Amino acid sequence: MPKLIIDDIAVEAAEGVSVLEAAKSVGITIPHFCWHPALGRAGACRVCAVKLLDGPVKGIQMSCMLPAQEGMVVSTTDPEAVALRRQVIEWLMINHPHDCPVCDEGGECQLQDFTIACGHGTRRFVGPKRTHVNQELGPYISHEMNRCIQCYRCVRFYQEYAGGSDFGVMGSAGKVYYGRFESGQLESPFSGNLVDICPTGVFTDKTARFRARYWDYDMAPSVCPGCSVGCNITPVARYRELLKIVARRNDMVNGWFICDRGRFAPKGVNAPSRPRTSLVDGVKTGREEAMDALLRRLGEVAELYGEGSIAVVGSTRLSQEGATLLPLLAESISAGALSYGLSAAESRASSGAISMLTLENGASIADVENADCIAIYESDLREEGPMLLLAVRQAWRRGAPVLLVGENSPLEQVRGVGIEAVQLHYMEEAPLAIFERPVVIAGMRHGDPRVMAVLDRSGARVACLFPGPNGHGAALLCAEHGGIPLEEALAKGKVKGLVAVEADIPAELLAGVPFVASLDWRETAAVQAASVVIPTAAWVECDGTYVNFEGRAQRFSRVMKPGLPIKELDPACHPPRIHQGDPPGGDILPSWQVMIEMIRLAGEKVPDGPFSGSWANLTSLDPEGEGEVIRGRCRRDS
Amino acid sequence: MEQVLFRHNRPGRCVTISEYRAGGGFLPLEKALREMSPDQVQQRVIDSGLRGRGGAGFPTGKKWSFVPRDLPGPRWLICNCDEMEPGTYKDRVLLEANPYLLVEGMILACYALGVEHSFIFIRRGYETAATNLARAIAEARGAGLLGENILASGFSCDIDVHLSAGRYICGEETALMNALEGRRANPRAKPPFPAIKGLWGGATVVNNVESLANIPFIIAEGADRFRSLARIPEASGMKLFCVSGHVRSPGCHELPLGIPLSEIIDDACGGMREGSSFKACLPGGASTPYFTPEHLSVPMDFDAVARAGSRLGTGGVVVFDQNTCMVRATLNLVRFYARESCGWCTPCREGLPYVVRLLEEIEAGRGSLEQVALLQEHVRLLNHAFCALAPGAMGPVDGLLRHFEEEVVEHVIRGRCPFN
Repeated sequence: MPKLIIDDIAVEAAEGVSVLEAAKSVGITIPHFCWHPALGRAGACRVCAVKLLDGPVKGIQMSCMLPAQEGMVVSTTDPEAVALRRQVIEWLMINHPHDCPVCDEGGECQLQDFTIACGHGTRRFVGPKRTHVNQELGPYISHEMNRCIQCYRCVRFYQEYAGGSDFGVMGSAGKVYYGRFESGQLESPFSGNLVDICPTGVFTDKTARFRARYWDYDMAPSVCPGCSVGCNITPVARYRELLKIVARRNDMVNGWFICDRGRFAPKGVNAPSRPRTSLVDGVKTGREEAMDALLRRLGEVAELYGEGSIAVVGSTRLSQEGATLLPLLAESISAGALSYGLSAAESRASSGAISMLTLENGASIADVENADCIAIYESDLREEGPMLLLAVRQAWRRGAPVLLVGENSPLEQVRGVGIEAVQLHYMEEAPLAIFERPVVIAGMRHGDPRVMAVLDRSGARVACLFPGPNGHGAALLCAEHGGIPLEEALAKGKVKGLVAVEADIPAELLAGVPFVASLDWRETAAVQAASVVIPTAAWVECDGTYVNFEGRAQRFSRVMKPGLPIKELDPACHPPRIHQGDPPGGDILPSWQVMIEMIRLAGEKVPDGPFSGSWANLTSLDPEGEGEVIRGRCRRDS
Repeated sequence: MEQVLFRHNRPGRCVTISEYRAGGGFLPLEKALREMSPDQVQQRVIDSGLRGRGGAGFPTGKKWSFVPRDLPGPRWLICNCDEMEPGTYKDRVLLEANPYLLVEGMILACYALGVEHSFIFIRRGYETAATNLARAIAEARGAGLLGENILASGFSCDIDVHLSAGRYICGEETALMNALEGRRANPRAKPPFPAIKGLWGGATVVNNVESLANIPFIIAEGADRFRSLARIPEASGMKLFCVSGHVRSPGCHELPLGIPLSEIIDDACGGMREGSSFKACLPGGASTPYFTPEHLSVPMDFDAVARAGSRLGTGGVVVFDQNTCMVRATLNLVRFYARESCGWCTPCREGLPYVVRLLEEIEAGRGSLEQVALLQEHVRLLNHAFCALAPGAMGPVDGLLRHFEEEVVEHVIRGRCPFN
């Protein structure tokens, strides 16, 4: 641990870090463009200049390139260093178009920040600006090359980190160009990270173009609902409309990046057709009335068809709060069947997985990145967990062989991240025992439950890709409360009354059920078939918890108030004449609160909150923390 | 005058392998393989005081000694023949007259370094030289001087000729390695230095053509003999000086290191042209600060030229007469460097066009004294670039401001170029 002095502050730096990182550790931000924590040093931009006053190296040095060493005395404020940093910014600004007023990056732009920080203000260069022709990069990312400061971050991420081959750097000298050989949609499933990683506005999110400024954003720490990986994200909303999603750093999960599916897909929150008001037989009504009607009709069903004719169905996208209350709701309405919406195959695979996983043998993304051999068992990671593919690539770059096991592990998935893999038929063929840190990534959709249940015997750490963002949590609760697969709950024809809580039930399974009630924010088949609909808050509109594939419980926070987006309001409603607590269409509760209300109306004892008993420790989860790993609680031998 | 590199030359054509062998060619190789250990070869090169002829003047033997003997994995030798420095054409002249000297020098270097596979990275435009080399390599292989088990010594090595895709930056040794690997020719960060981690991660030595071509003589005649060739005691060996510009007979001459600049111009090149008088010259290629009449007596060797405020560089002497506008000459040079920047780091990519613009403004009579000061600032600041391209490019600008500041200021004050 070298000890050095930076701006009169004694710093004990971690082994192998640069002076720039050492300074960062004590709160000194040295301007930087090409250096990025995930991509490392490049030494290209030259803006992180500092002056070494004493020690093993002296004079002006680039702090990103210089390892922190014992006895260094570093000044970030030395006039010579300040002058060079100012000059570097002046050079970078020679060709920058200064179009901040029409640039989406304005307000969250590193170039703006560091230009101010470095003190460059007056243009001394008298020549014209170099201009470029932009490319059409598809529906998600807009390209504005004139803003480019040539930090090489984009190409280093795209080619080296993500293994893409259709985007790169062309030309030389003052005509360096970052783009594709010709216009066309970026092929990498991680292309959206260019938006986050670009220190200025070359790559911006086309789907949110010209919609809001940074200081207008509604945002909060959140978790991606796209799959079971549980990447940390920051959804950005304004006027009750979800505008875009940016990656949020969590080194225990997704690092700095997220996949394109997670970034660009989940805009269903904005769907005009989503349920916003309670309905009874298609007629708008208050929530209380709807709940009354729901309970009354369930009573009628029970009277008519007898015990066991009512089922409660949740899902793997229901937050852990909702999933925990589901059994209590089922009990309060005397439901005979409880399901977490898992198919029979998913149920078998999930229960095999949770009975096998322990705190020790489960693999996190970090374990995947550090693995020395990776077997992908019966999974197409592009579908089941794209970010794991990026992690697999980092391991592969360090020399780990990648094995694709089974007929449902297509070779195309690894080609998308530019790596080579060996295809095998059976898990038994994978020579995991000869490696020190092997990891198996197992898919739930096609994985054989018998194989899943014994993966721990391979000596590898195991990552099981549960369906849905809370599949792991749902599987744990399902095991605890005797939940049954969806087909089993509905197919017998016995169920005559159904309460679907954020459940995606195929229409054909609903056909034989006379009474359907649905609590949801999506317009699902159950909502369409339901006599009673009670809208719930979407994930960005409430706090909640998802348990990801590795069993890490992560809290997400409310980003925006529920309610109709302003742009969908009748002009007469805007600006609002009467100021009230809830915006129009905003009388919506999270599903778990709706369930508590129903339990109360049913006359049962109401729990204090969603988590009690063995789940109480989830109450205090920090949305900005690393989450808490809870896997292994249903281990078969525990 | 004794010639080392040009001794086998035939007028108007390339020497043949039989002529080369008849003149003693490949005997040094036989001698080394038979009588000397690799360490002895390396030590003799160290003792000879041979300094790299590609521009930086780093001692060749010392460079070799940086490769750890016990480093595992393959190691490489690359001959840098990407001669693109404006005013420099010595390697072309040498290879068009005699490619065997380089081939023999490379085999000797491979022997000293324990290299089994070496490359000649040659400038795209040097087609004749590349053809000569390909022929020389084939002939050497046919004669058992190259390939498996050379001269039954048990030592094997091979040489490949790689035609560069052609950028000035490819001459920078780490950019050259990237180019050879098929990547963009951007320089690499040092450390790790090529001697530890270079081409494909292996230990790598990059030497200039002329440096390697001197090795056979050093092996054959000994280190002391090589040192004594130079005109002054601190120098060692001969140097190819390629002269261009306003002299009577421009050309490439092999002359002893330490020879005064005036002798190169007056004796070797017949003096200045009719009606021309010496105003300035680039002593060692386009990236070196100018020499003026006061420097005509400077001994042309690495240290002596450095003490006089410039660099011997490649030995490409470009002479300017009294009618040359030094602003315009400098502008022409910096334009080349601005175009040849690889675009990796900001000072080079953006700073050089900035300097070009400043010089253009001054040359066009639109300049100001603030811009002259800005030019001066850039000479200093461009030292903080990633590699040596930008600092080199500022060499002539540095010389311009040191020796011809009056001429620059005259542009500003008169509002026009005084030579128009």
